[in-house]
Amino acid sequence: MSNLQTETALNIEPIKTKSDHRFLQFWRLFRRKKPAVISFYFVLFLFIMAIIGPFVTPFDAAKPDYNSVLETPSASHWFGTDEYGRDILSRIIAGARISLSVSVSAVTLGAIVGSILGLISGFFGKWVDKLIMRICDVLFAFPELILAIGIVAILGPGLNNVIIAVAFFSVPSFARIVRGATLEVKEMLFVEAEESLGASRLRIMFKHVFPETLPTIIVYYTMNVGTAILAAASLSFLGLGAEPSSPDWGAMLSVSRDYIGTAFHLVFFPGLVIFLTVLAFNLLGDGLREMLDPKMKD
Amino acid sequence: MRKFAVLVLILTLALFSAACSSDNAGSTGTSGKTKATGDKELTVAIDQNFITLDPHNAGDTVSIIGIRSMYEGLVGFDKDMQIIPALAESYDISKDGLTYTFKLRQGVKFHDGEQFNAEAVKANFDRIMDDANNLSAKRSFKFVDSMEIIGDYEVAFKLKEPFSAMINKFGMVPMISPKAIEKGTKYIEANPVGTGTFKFVEWKQGKTLEVEKYADYWGGDQTNVEKVKFSPIPENGSRVAMLKTGEADFVYPMPQQNVKQFKNSKDVTIEESPSTIVRYVSINTFMDQYKDLKVRQAMNLAVNKEAYIKVVKDGYGHVLDSTMAPETQYYAKQKAYEFDVKKAKELLKEAGYENGFKAEIWGNTSSESVKGMQFIKQQLAQIGIDVKIKSMEEGTLSDEIYTPAKPEDAKVQMWYVSWSPSSGDADGATRGLFSNEYYPPNGANTAYYNNEKVTNWIKEANATADPKEQEKIYHEIQRTVFEEAPWIFLASDVNLAAHANNLEGVYVAPDGVINISKAQLK
Repeated sequence: MSNLQTETALNIEPIKTKSDHRFLQFWRLFRRKKPAVISFYFVLFLFIMAIIGPFVTPFDAAKPDYNSVLETPSASHWFGTDEYGRDILSRIIAGARISLSVSVSAVTLGAIVGSILGLISGFFGKWVDKLIMRICDVLFAFPELILAIGIVAILGPGLNNVIIAVAFFSVPSFARIVRGATLEVKEMLFVEAEESLGASRLRIMFKHVFPETLPTIIVYYTMNVGTAILAAASLSFLGLGAEPSSPDWGAMLSVSRDYIGTAFHLVFFPGLVIFLTVLAFNLLGDGLREMLDPKMKD
Repeated sequence: MRKFAVLVLILTLALFSAACSSDNAGSTGTSGKTKATGDKELTVAIDQNFITLDPHNAGDTVSIIGIRSMYEGLVGFDKDMQIIPALAESYDISKDGLTYTFKLRQGVKFHDGEQFNAEAVKANFDRIMDDANNLSAKRSFKFVDSMEIIGDYEVAFKLKEPFSAMINKFGMVPMISPKAIEKGTKYIEANPVGTGTFKFVEWKQGKTLEVEKYADYWGGDQTNVEKVKFSPIPENGSRVAMLKTGEADFVYPMPQQNVKQFKNSKDVTIEESPSTIVRYVSINTFMDQYKDLKVRQAMNLAVNKEAYIKVVKDGYGHVLDSTMAPETQYYAKQKAYEFDVKKAKELLKEAGYENGFKAEIWGNTSSESVKGMQFIKQQLAQIGIDVKIKSMEEGTLSDEIYTPAKPEDAKVQMWYVSWSPSSGDADGATRGLFSNEYYPPNGANTAYYNNEKVTNWIKEANATADPKEQEKIYHEIQRTVFEEAPWIFLASDVNLAAHANNLEGVYVAPDGVINISKAQLK
């Protein structure tokens, strides 16, 4: 196994100089994985919506219209209206920004902190490694959502605290994954060469070891965004995240759950969007893993 | 890939069909329930947990529901909150309004076999008046000076000063077995021993309360129900599901938005009944931005009450046009604040808040509160008031509101809340809310409404025994308070309950307390 990895790592190394070539090659391979491609376009679409959404919504997402409450889907309101007469489609589009910004920033934060800890842990070893990994073990012992609920309970409800909570529970997984990758890379010949040339530890760590762990991080990052969206929606559903009046998907579900028996579209569409988004991120992550993870390469 | 697409399709369809099928609900039967076994068991689903079963220390509606199934007072309330005899056969009030004499019912036994007599009343009275016990019932007896045993079955209460609503307060104080009283408060809290139609079986805190029929009830065979189980189910959807499947026979409160589902149901009946519950937002009049009357009036003008009832109450409610509901004693209709954004903006401008200001509204986490707060936020946004919603768990919320010792320490700006006078009288709907002697933590004047005139009027109204005079004073109080707008006046409720069609005789009184004493299961 370790032979194989060494081989691939060495293979990647020379191509690195021609990055455009590598990207095209990557894209050609990636295009063959249909679920991942569809997911990629969906995610891309979501990001575009998150950026331009508020300018293209058919209705003002926050403006109530008490004369058309609980309307079922129609030509003017594709997803119907909610209990205040607000257009659900507009709210979902407006909510994309909240859901994506919360999850992406939470996972980015978690990935940065986790990767640094993982690098340090893997690179220095000994007691530093033991300390960091034991702390991670402790955090692993809690189910993710319970940990997040606990943190939000301490910090108080609100989206910023949700970001911190979600970031917090992604830290140990990133730390562990990056540590594993670091351990592998550390033993490689080029690192040894670097060392003998007198490069500083910091330089080796960030300039040479870190880029090698990047594919693993990217894969895990993509999949974690899905988890984070779900976690953020769950926290909002429980009333710990977004303010109930904001178009956050989880909050929309939470507020309208009383109508599940009488006006299903209130719950159905936000639920569907959460479902599809999480699925898309997971499939995209899966596709990327098949591409980037040397162990999975055929 | 193909497999995956099929999976997504199936999941989507499953979701769709699940959602659609619940539309034509109510067709599932309740008759097929466990009742085939012959034992008459009744399940009542309510929305909150029981806090205590100590009848002298319960303040919340749900605890009172549990307590009134097992306990009775000297007098009771009928369906319309009128006073009816209970453990006292009759009563007499002296001309000066200072002495209340009760003729007690003979042959009444507590659930533990103890006799109910004058001594038992005395034991209850002593328990309540003992400061060491620190019981909320003492507030009902605030004006009582002493109690006297005249005969084995006759007692008299002497008042310090006349208190017009006193007879209602007697209805709020249930009688506990003297033997249980001897065992102390800890025992009473978990082991109710009263005289009611049902006696205590088991209370699993946070789960269920079970009571069973008391065979030796003084009133004879009132009910054919052997056992009653109260289940606190805070989640609206679950409560409705219990009704649908027949797991619950009686549901209160019935969520308004689900009423439609049962319109054509053969198994379930929805009961609407008048209510003394009022919905409002109390405004902390002690805070800078709310000090100005114009600001508070502008807030009232900016809220469309009809839309509130339509959107938040799904049509079940009436515009609140006084400080109390029409069902409450001495209610006087006021000229409601017409929805007028333009006028509201002008008033705000005059008050110096042309561009509005930032505000915060608090409320509990129940779906209805969250919905109501969102509505207020939307409405106040029209006049530039940017409201932040903070919904808190009931216990935390209560702490936050009732802990501050001084008005200036209070952090609450607006509180989305409701009130119902459990004694059904005007005093219960006024004194604790608007007298400046009842700021938290002493009372529920969470608007910190301070009007010396109103405080004095409340005292005057209590001091006079003349109903005409009282009516005049309470009208004056309602007019003044309504004009000075310490609340955003929203709506008075319609009580909504639902029951299986094989159940009769259970009803919700205007104050929101369920009465099961004459329950009949067919």
